[in-house]
Order: sequence, then structure tokens, then C-alpha cells
Amino acid sequence: MMRRLLFNLMVWSAVLIVAFPLFWMVVTSLKPQLELWARPPAFLPIEPTVEHYVTLLQDTNFLVYFRNSIFLSTATTLVVIGVATLGAYSLVRFTYRGRESLAMLVLFTYLLPSVVLILPLYLMMVKLGLANTLFSLVLAYTTFALPYALWLLRSFMAGIPEDLESAALVDGASRMGAFRDVIFPQLLPGIISTALFTFILSWNEYLFALVLVNSDASRPLTTGVMNMLISSFNIEWSLLMAASVMMSVPLIIAFAFLQKYLTRGFGAGAVKG
Amino acid sequence: MAGVTFSRVRKEFAGFLAVEGLDLTIEEGEFVSLLGPSGCGKTTTLRMLAGLEFPTSGEIRIGDRLVNDVPPGQRDIAMVFQSYALYPHMTVGRNMEYPLKKRGLPKAERKAKVAKAADMLQLTELLDRKPSQLSGGQQQRVALGRALVRDPQVFLLDEPLSNLDAKLRGYMRAELVELHARLGRTMVYVTHDQLEAMTMSNRIAIMLAGDLQQFAPPQEVYRRPANRFVASFIGTPSMNLIDGQLSRSDAGWHFTSPGLTLPVPALRDSAKAGDACLGVRPEHVHLGHGDLQAKVQLVEQTGHENIVVLDVAGGNRLTGRTPSSQVPQMSEAINYRIDSDQVHVFGPGDTGARLNADG
Repeated sequence: MMRRLLFNLMVWSAVLIVAFPLFWMVVTSLKPQLELWARPPAFLPIEPTVEHYVTLLQDTNFLVYFRNSIFLSTATTLVVIGVATLGAYSLVRFTYRGRESLAMLVLFTYLLPSVVLILPLYLMMVKLGLANTLFSLVLAYTTFALPYALWLLRSFMAGIPEDLESAALVDGASRMGAFRDVIFPQLLPGIISTALFTFILSWNEYLFALVLVNSDASRPLTTGVMNMLISSFNIEWSLLMAASVMMSVPLIIAFAFLQKYLTRGFGAGAVKG
Repeated sequence: MAGVTFSRVRKEFAGFLAVEGLDLTIEEGEFVSLLGPSGCGKTTTLRMLAGLEFPTSGEIRIGDRLVNDVPPGQRDIAMVFQSYALYPHMTVGRNMEYPLKKRGLPKAERKAKVAKAADMLQLTELLDRKPSQLSGGQQQRVALGRALVRDPQVFLLDEPLSNLDAKLRGYMRAELVELHARLGRTMVYVTHDQLEAMTMSNRIAIMLAGDLQQFAPPQEVYRRPANRFVASFIGTPSMNLIDGQLSRSDAGWHFTSPGLTLPVPALRDSAKAGDACLGVRPEHVHLGHGDLQAKVQLVEQTGHENIVVLDVAGGNRLTGRTPSSQVPQMSEAINYRIDSDQVHVFGPGDTGARLNADG
């Protein structure tokens, strides 16, 4: 009983430590400018206000960045899932020379720090005429999200019995038909968790966005907000916190709905990957 | 309806020969078992017939139609898998409907056929359940039902009973035989269980390491096994096999092994004196009388009979049967007799051919 109490106490303190910055973020975004530097700091705003949110939405580029981020993350996720699903299918179902080495080789991307990759990537984008576009970021994000997605989906795919597909083929389905009717529904939890990983990775990415994109029209939220609210002389704390809240909202919603798939994804990777 | 023909079918997987020059003709409406130990090529043979594997060379025909390059869905076959391979996200009804849907049948007709098959297999109550909510036996029946709805030319069954418990297996064996009689369709059944093959088939094809050993009706396979491997594989308890020497005198052929000399029935012209193997079914070793002697090593009482293992001089062992009323004592010295008309003589080696003149 005592141990249990102690354990609960520890867990809850851990939760508090992790959750406090998030709480402070929300509180700060709701405090009027005057209360911000009050001493001693008030836990809850005395006169809560949404003026920072209104300012962000009306007077800044926030919505442009937000739209860019949504587009960027969605496009990356679609490309990565499309390629990784087919790739995983190939790696699991077909036998060909060099199949295993190919799968290993894909992971080599992770052996190099992204700082090393970023300049060659930038030069390539310039040559392709894609510099300063959102599309260049989609390509860049794909390079580092794809290997992980491929391996994750591969372990999910390996968990689907081959007999299921054989049965569908005998029942009269084409290979594509068998994939759509039988493999895809079985793979769905894997696809969802992989998609979530990819989306989060793209949503939070900063370094590539900083280097590859330099115009306000195609900046995503991460670099956009930093660029807009943090200068050498001043940090707009209230606006920054309001922006942070709004940046977190899509992820929190996604997590809430898809959490059970996400944990299953971790499990799959641990056992079979 | 159609039979199945394999002509000189070979299948190689990267450096591994799975099936070698298989010639097999299955008649229309026949129930044929492919029997053999694991790795003998029986499942590969079935998968080639299904179109899930393609032969390296040779021809496979269903009826008169060459199907070598025909995809599985267009072969007019249905298959039951060892794992049942039920689609987990579909209900029982939708599982059974799937092959009909893929063939573009109108909905009303699909429903009618599913209902009919479900009725035949007592699945009507379960149509709305998911496969995970069913017992092993029920899942097995759904897999059968999914094959049944289409009324295909040929049924392929890949060890469909191996995941059931012994009692249910016995029951399903009888069900399948009845189903075959009712449908009159060609059925090809893969199994490693000789009892299933013996009790259900019209003919058994026994395979070893990619080679067909014998293709004959069950009783024929039991009474006149083509070679030593078939003899050892068919029958429980299995046939006694004793290595020794074959010699010929004016009186005929004799078999000699340490502690055992026995006249043997007429042999083929090709039989030669020298190394050979004697095969005796346990029911042809008669205990309690006769002029041979041995020590009782082990007695297994199964209820309706006793299985007795004898220690014969010279290190050989013999298994015999006695009725349940006759229980020999362990370590007891016992007289016995071998029915020398009923013995088999095989050439040397694991697949030494049977040399008896009646085969």
C-alpha cells in the first residue's frame, strides 16, 4: 500500500515536471502584456485575454506558415507512405538478389548527421530549380523519413500471413486486388502509426527548413515563427506562446485519435524490426 | 468437372530441387492425397496446381486445359489452407462471399449461394461473426465454406485438419468424405498424416524428397508398398524392417539376419542374392506359438489390442500384436512365428524397391 502510494507520487511528479512547461505556455499566451513580467509571477492570468491570438491571426503571416506546414507535412506523409508501403511489400513478398542488403543500405542515411547532408541537398535543389519551394522540403523530409517508415512498415507487413494473399489470389483477385482487399486492411494500423510518425517529424523539422527555404511565402511554421517573433533585440513572448499553442493543437488532436495505433507501432518495431 | 494431369513437372527454388519430374494423372471426381514427410514436395505440388508457384518445366493440365501460365483466380479451383487464411477484417458471410464477388456475380445470387453453403456446413448462425470470434473447428468450416460456394472444378486442401484436436479431426475426416461423395468433385488433399490419407482417399500419391514413390489405392499401398520408404511410412505401428542377406537355394529364396532365418515368397526375376531388407507387418508376427524365440521388451496396451516389442537374438527388434486378452509379461521369453507368406522383401537402401513377385 505504502509502496503503491510512493510509486503514484513519483509518477505524478514526473507528469507535473513534463506538463508544467506546456501549462506555462498556455498561461503565458493568455496573459496581457502587463502581467507578463509581474513579480511574483501569477499562476493564472488575472485578466485573461486572447489578444495575442487575434494579433497573430490578423496582423502576421502566421496563417501562411500554418498552411505551408499543413501542406508540407501532408505531402511528405503521402509520399513517404506511398513509397514505403510498396517498398515494404516488395521487401517482404518478393525474393530477389540483394533484398536484405538493400534494406540495410536504406538505413545508411541515418549514419550521417543531417548537417553533412544539408549542403549537398541544397545544391541539388538549386540545380533542380526547386530552391526556395515547399516541394524541395517535401523531397528533403522524404529522405530522412522514408528509411524509418520503410522498416516500420516492413515489420508490420511481415506480420501478415502470406496465406491471406494466396487465398485472395485463388479466390479470383488480382495482385492489386488482393493488396487492396486483404493486405491493406491488415496493414492499416501500421500505416496509421507510420503516417503519424512521419507527420510529426515533418511538422517539427527546423534545420532543413532553415537552410532550404528563404522566402516568407514558403516558410513553414517552425522557421516562420522564429523569424517573425525573435529578433536579436527582442522576443515577443506572448505571441510566441500563442503561436506555440496553435502549433501544438493539430498534433494533440491527431494523438488523441490515433494514440492506440501509435503505441502498437512502437511494439511492432521492438519485436520484429 | 475435370481431372488433373502433371507431366514431367519439375520445380526448382534457388538451388533446391523441390519436385522432380512428377508424372501424375488424377481422374475426374477422384479424391487423391499427396502424402509424405515435411519437405517432400507435396505442398509445392499443390501450390503449383493452385497457380501460387510456377513449375520450372513440365506441364500441368486441369481437364484438357494447359494451366502453366494461368493465374490462380482463373483456374476454376478453390483452396483450403492449413492456416485457414480467413480474412480477419471480414465477417464469416463476407469471407464466403468474397470469391463470388471477385467473379462478378450479382448480389442476390451471392447471398443465395452463401446461404446454401452455410446451411450445408451449419454456419448459418455464425455468418455475422468475425473469424477471431470462432473456435478452430468453426474457422475450419468457414474455410471449407469459402471453397464450397464457388463450386469449382477442383478442390485443393492443404493439411486442412492439422490444427484441430484429435477428436474433431476424426469427425471432420468423415465430413470431408461425405462432402466428396455429395459433390463428386475432384479433390487433391495434402497431408503428412497417413491415417487421413488411408481413410479418405481413392488413391494416395506418396512422395519423398521431390520424388513420387507410389501412386495407388490405400489398400494397395498397404499390401504392396512399392519400396522400403512407403512400407515404413504407411501403417501404425509401422512395419518391421530388418536388414540382412538374401540367398537362393533349390528350395527357393531365403532371408537371413542374426537370429533369424526365414523362407520368403516368390521374388521377381530381377532379385539378386546379397544385401536386402525384410518387411513384416506387426499383424503377421504371431505370438505365443511357433518355433522362434524372443524376449518381451515392451508391452503397450491400447485397450482393444496390445502392441508387443520383442528383442530378437542378434540385436533385432520386432513389433507384434496380440488381442487384448493375451498380455505377455515384460522380460518373458516367448515363442513366435512369422507369417512367411506375408513378408515383403526390399532391395538395399532407404528406397529399395519391393522384390516380391506379386507386385
